[in-house]
Amino acid sequence: MAQQANIGELLSMLDSPMLSVRDDVTAVFKENLNSDRGPMLVNTLVDYYLETNSQPVLHILTTLQEPHDKVDTDAIVLTTGALVLVTVLPMIPQSGKQHLRDFFDIFGRLSSWCLKKPGHVTEIYLVHLHASVYALFHRLYGMYPCNFVSFLRSHYSMKENLETFEEVVKPMMEHVRIHPELVTGSKDHELDPRRWKRLETHDVVIECAKISLDPTEASYEDGYSVSHQISARFPHRSADVTASSYVDTQNSYGSATSTPHSTSRLMLLNTPGQLPQTLSSLSTRLLTEPPQATLWSPSVVCGMTTPPTSPGNVPPDLSHPYSKVFGTAGRKGTPLGTPATSPPPAPPCHSDDYAHISLPQAMATAPKKEERTDSARPCLHRQHHLPNDRGLEELPGSKGSVTLSDLPGFLGDLASEEDSIEKDKEEAAISKELSEITTADAEPLAPRGGFDSPFYRDSLPGCPRKTHSAVSSAQGTGANPEPLNSALDRLGPDTPKQAFTPIDLPCGGAEESPAGDRERQASLESSILTPSPFKIPPQRGVGFGGGQPPPYDHLFEVALPKTARHFVSKKTEGLLKKAKGNTEEDFMPSASPMEVLDRLIQQGADAHSKELNRLSLPSKSVDWTHFGGSAPSDETRSLRNQLLLLHNQLLYERFKRQQHALRNRRLLRKVTRAAALEEHNAAMKDQLKLQEKDIQIWKVSLQKEQARYSQLQEQRDTVVTQLHSQIRQLQHDREEFYNQSQELQTKLEDCRNMIAELRVELKKANSKVCHTELLLSQVSQKLSNSESVQQQMEFLNRQLLVLGEVNELYLEQLQNKHSDTTKEVEMMKTAYRKELEKNRSHVLQQNQRLDTAQKRILELESHLAKKDHLLLEQKKYLEDVKLQARGQLQAAESRYEAQKRITQVFELEILDLYGRLEKDGLLKKLEEEKTEAAEAAEERLDCCRDGCSDSVTGHNNEEASGPNGETKPPRPGGARGGSGSRGGGGGGSSSSSGGSELSTPEKPPNPRVGPCSSRWETAVGEPTTGIPMTVGSLPSSKSFLGMKARELFRNKSESQCDEDSLTSSSLSETLKTELGKDSGVEAKPPLNLDGPQPPPPKPDSVGQLRIMDYNEAQHEHS
Amino acid sequence: MTEDSQRNFRSVYYEKVGFRGVEEKKSLEILLKDDCLDIEKLCTFSQRFPLPSMYRALVWKVLLGILPPHHESHAQVMMYRKEQYSDVLHALEVIRFISDATPQVEVYLYMHRLESGKLPRSPSFALEPEDEVFLAIAKAMEEMVEDSIDCYWLTRCFVNQLNNKYRDFLPQLPKAFEQYLNLEDSRLLSHLKTSSAVSKLPYDLWFKRCFAGCLPESSLQRVWDKVISGSCKILVFVAVEILLTFKIKVMALNGAEKITKFLENIPQDSSDAIVSKAIDLWHKHCGTPVHSA
Repeated sequence: MAQQANIGELLSMLDSPMLSVRDDVTAVFKENLNSDRGPMLVNTLVDYYLETNSQPVLHILTTLQEPHDKVDTDAIVLTTGALVLVTVLPMIPQSGKQHLRDFFDIFGRLSSWCLKKPGHVTEIYLVHLHASVYALFHRLYGMYPCNFVSFLRSHYSMKENLETFEEVVKPMMEHVRIHPELVTGSKDHELDPRRWKRLETHDVVIECAKISLDPTEASYEDGYSVSHQISARFPHRSADVTASSYVDTQNSYGSATSTPHSTSRLMLLNTPGQLPQTLSSLSTRLLTEPPQATLWSPSVVCGMTTPPTSPGNVPPDLSHPYSKVFGTAGRKGTPLGTPATSPPPAPPCHSDDYAHISLPQAMATAPKKEERTDSARPCLHRQHHLPNDRGLEELPGSKGSVTLSDLPGFLGDLASEEDSIEKDKEEAAISKELSEITTADAEPLAPRGGFDSPFYRDSLPGCPRKTHSAVSSAQGTGANPEPLNSALDRLGPDTPKQAFTPIDLPCGGAEESPAGDRERQASLESSILTPSPFKIPPQRGVGFGGGQPPPYDHLFEVALPKTARHFVSKKTEGLLKKAKGNTEEDFMPSASPMEVLDRLIQQGADAHSKELNRLSLPSKSVDWTHFGGSAPSDETRSLRNQLLLLHNQLLYERFKRQQHALRNRRLLRKVTRAAALEEHNAAMKDQLKLQEKDIQIWKVSLQKEQARYSQLQEQRDTVVTQLHSQIRQLQHDREEFYNQSQELQTKLEDCRNMIAELRVELKKANSKVCHTELLLSQVSQKLSNSESVQQQMEFLNRQLLVLGEVNELYLEQLQNKHSDTTKEVEMMKTAYRKELEKNRSHVLQQNQRLDTAQKRILELESHLAKKDHLLLEQKKYLEDVKLQARGQLQAAESRYEAQKRITQVFELEILDLYGRLEKDGLLKKLEEEKTEAAEAAEERLDCCRDGCSDSVTGHNNEEASGPNGETKPPRPGGARGGSGSRGGGGGGSSSSSGGSELSTPEKPPNPRVGPCSSRWETAVGEPTTGIPMTVGSLPSSKSFLGMKARELFRNKSESQCDEDSLTSSSLSETLKTELGKDSGVEAKPPLNLDGPQPPPPKPDSVGQLRIMDYNEAQHEHS
Repeated sequence: MTEDSQRNFRSVYYEKVGFRGVEEKKSLEILLKDDCLDIEKLCTFSQRFPLPSMYRALVWKVLLGILPPHHESHAQVMMYRKEQYSDVLHALEVIRFISDATPQVEVYLYMHRLESGKLPRSPSFALEPEDEVFLAIAKAMEEMVEDSIDCYWLTRCFVNQLNNKYRDFLPQLPKAFEQYLNLEDSRLLSHLKTSSAVSKLPYDLWFKRCFAGCLPESSLQRVWDKVISGSCKILVFVAVEILLTFKIKVMALNGAEKITKFLENIPQDSSDAIVSKAIDLWHKHCGTPVHSA
């Protein structure tokens, strides 16, 4: 106790915030754990952890080492652990996967444990352990098939494990079908979190259950499809079972094929030694009970509510059930009593399930019974059994090697041989009846799904009968395998009772008090050994009548509406599961460890109650010692352990139940939703109807509207026609008006035409008037003329009159005179005549003259015109000529222009050259003479005076003036240079050379010459200063140009000299020199220049002079 | 028209069959027979019909004023021209501005410059743009006219005409070009505009040099017929026609420089067709010139 407190303190210190303290304490714990090998400290730690969830403790626990984590050989702990694992696994499918290997190891170990039984484990525990291992197997296979299978493959491929596999694992595998994941999935895929995400815990459980073929574990959720599957699978399975267990029994236990059988067998083998008395006593009693259906009363199982059946009730005839069964089976062979005995709760809709379940049951039970009978009453029952077996075997045996799959058909054939007609009738009747029942039952069943655990309530007496019957019908599938299978054998209403009773169980199983444990222990143990007498009949049922369900099956399928069946079967399956869970799958004789365990429990309880009743208290100890020799304390412990195991089992089953409840709830939700949807549909239909009504109303109103519309249309039409007629009338009117206007228009047109005509007439009249006026004027002129003529005529008449009078007078005178006058008159007459003629000729002449004059005028006029024309032509011609001349002139002008340009270019060029020269010369001059600077200045002045344009000519002058310049010096110097000047004047071509020759000696006087001659001087001076001969030679080389230039040059120079008022003198002097040159001294005095002096001996020169003069004059003029 | 009466009755068929210039030659001969040539009529004729090549030089000379209209003075004036030419040439030789090695066109240029008083001081002076124009035209003219004197005079007068008579018109030609191109093919113009080639088209080559160096002389002289006879608008249509002819090529080109480069060096083989089409286009847009008389 002190240590306990110490540990408590330490534990509290373990959670202290001080890190050092914690470490210390942890170290202490570890030390303790290392030193102390007892489990107490560890247990304390675990408890503490569970209470406080303390991390350090967890840490310590996880680091536990060898002595503590060693394998616990205690079967109770192991069983509990395995069950916990099985329970927890579906909850942590994802997080548990990293420990998958460990789980598999656990499985491997436990399975091998089951076989090897290390230590002193009692068989009782092993049954539990085996059941838990079986559950674990199912869970692992259901959840991780690939991994698990691969584990199995690797683990059991080892030789040392082979036996375990054969003994333990292989039989387990017979209760599972091939997992679809083995085909479609892979190892990795199984561990994929996505696979588990969609599944809840109960889904996982159901998934696992689906894989199982064990009727106690399996789930047939899939209903319709599953039923097909099962029906298709059916013959195979029956074959399976027969192959494994059935044949084994034939071999009289030569080899243990399936673990449950072997274990049970082992137990059976063991127990007889321990409790031979109880066995025998119990077995006798128990054997009698099953037929009375009290065996499966939950109250009996629990040993709580109802008192155990009195032993007095037990019929002494042990072989009664067997004989009875045998008797019935043998007598009837065919299910004669079925219509009568089989209660309504065997609905055909369960036929699939029923067939499925019942068959394995039947087949699984078969060997058990044999065992029991064998073990319990070897001598007694073997005789019974053997013939029975033999008889059974004979049937298939007679046929030799009839395949097991053919068995049902074969059996069916056998049956039909016996009384096929009767059977057919029966079948028809059954199917009919059943179909009626199902249709009736299907409806009320629907609302029942909402109950979580309907069976619990159903057990209450207040429950409606109908539902109860429905439940019972559902229950029937689980509980009625025998009723249907062995209905032939079971007489009376026993079977329904059996079906109903398990419903009352659930409360009992959980609340089981450990009070009567010890007593029941013995009974339980013995109950295992108790042979269940009714097991045989099913066997026979399989042999003779059991073969019939398959023929029924297809009939049921055809006869019943599939949906209803599906629904109901689903429902009932759920219910059946529940029932199974609650009743711990009791009653069903099965090869699976579960069933063995169930059986153990139920029979143990039964035996216990009986034993309690039978044994008196004082004689108890005696009995114990007497029977088994084992100490009571030992018994107590084992009993307690068994209780614990039972409790574990119970908890596990409860867990399963909860999962089913969860699932149920979900399914219920679906159902309610479906119902809601149906209601919704109905509501929608109502609405639809309403809307249809509305549509009708709308149609009616539409028709009305249409009628009104047509009416309006008619009205409109009439109005339109009216308006049309109006329009027509108006158009007519309009046309009339139009015609009228047309008429008026034409009239107007006529009027206009008339007016135009009138106007034309007016014009004509006017013109006529004008014409007439003109005529009038003419006429008036004529009139005046005629008047004047008249006047003249009058005048002439008067004259004539006067003349007449005169004539008369003369006549009178003549007459008066008469004689002398006649001659005179004659004379006068002739004179007059002559005068008249003369006048006439004169007039004629005048006329002629006029004509000629007129002709002349015409002639002249034409002449004038000709002249004018000529003049014009002349003008034109002149113009033409002018144009022509202009053209030529233009050409000439352009030519002149070009010439000008050319000269400009030349000048420019020369200036350029000159400038260059000048530059050179200037330098030299500066060196030579200072005086010449002044001259240069003068020259420059001259240049300026001459202007730029004349510069070229100036140069020419300079060059050409060589001879002229030389002519001057002779003036002061006398006639010495005369010859030179003459040369210059006469033959220019030759003078240059001579001039230059002459000029050199006369250089000195140059400075004294006037400004006009300065040019010459420079010109003279320049050649001396070294002007290249090219310049000087230019005029000479081009003689013609030179002459011309000289001419031009001289003219210019002379005009300049004139301006300088020295011209005349110089000119005269030149002439003088020339003259002097020619005539020597004589030429001195005269100064007259123009005088054509006869003396010149060389007239050429003078002529030349003259020409020059003339030219000069001309130039001066121009 | 007085000539019509003298026209060959086949003339209608000639034109139908596509022979051109048969009748034109005759009527031109009639025109040239006159003692005093009618310049206006010659202009109209030259604008309406292609000049027969044998009379081209004569007509050009008359139209450019190198020869007066009077036949009588032709010889004399031509002599003047010849002398002027030789004088100027001589002057240039004298001042050693040119030598025998100087290319003929440059000789023409120097002569021209001398006559216009712009002769530079040395032959190695930088050419001005107008000199380039002169050189290009002279080069083309040299191909067309054999006689160097004629060539010089024609070149000179042609350039003078461009500089004086067309001085105001030439700058407006690009605008007119755009306008007519828009009428003929607005898509092409928009393409040019988008590639901003409108302002970079070789207007100098087209309008200042009158396609000298752009078209072969055989085609070029037909254009110059029109230019000399007084219409510089023909240049616009030739340009438009060039663009229309090479539309696909131009549309394919994108850069303004590429287009300009291509237009500056257009293929010569289709130039005759271009000119014919351009003249048709010109007639279409500006109407056929009629005798004003």
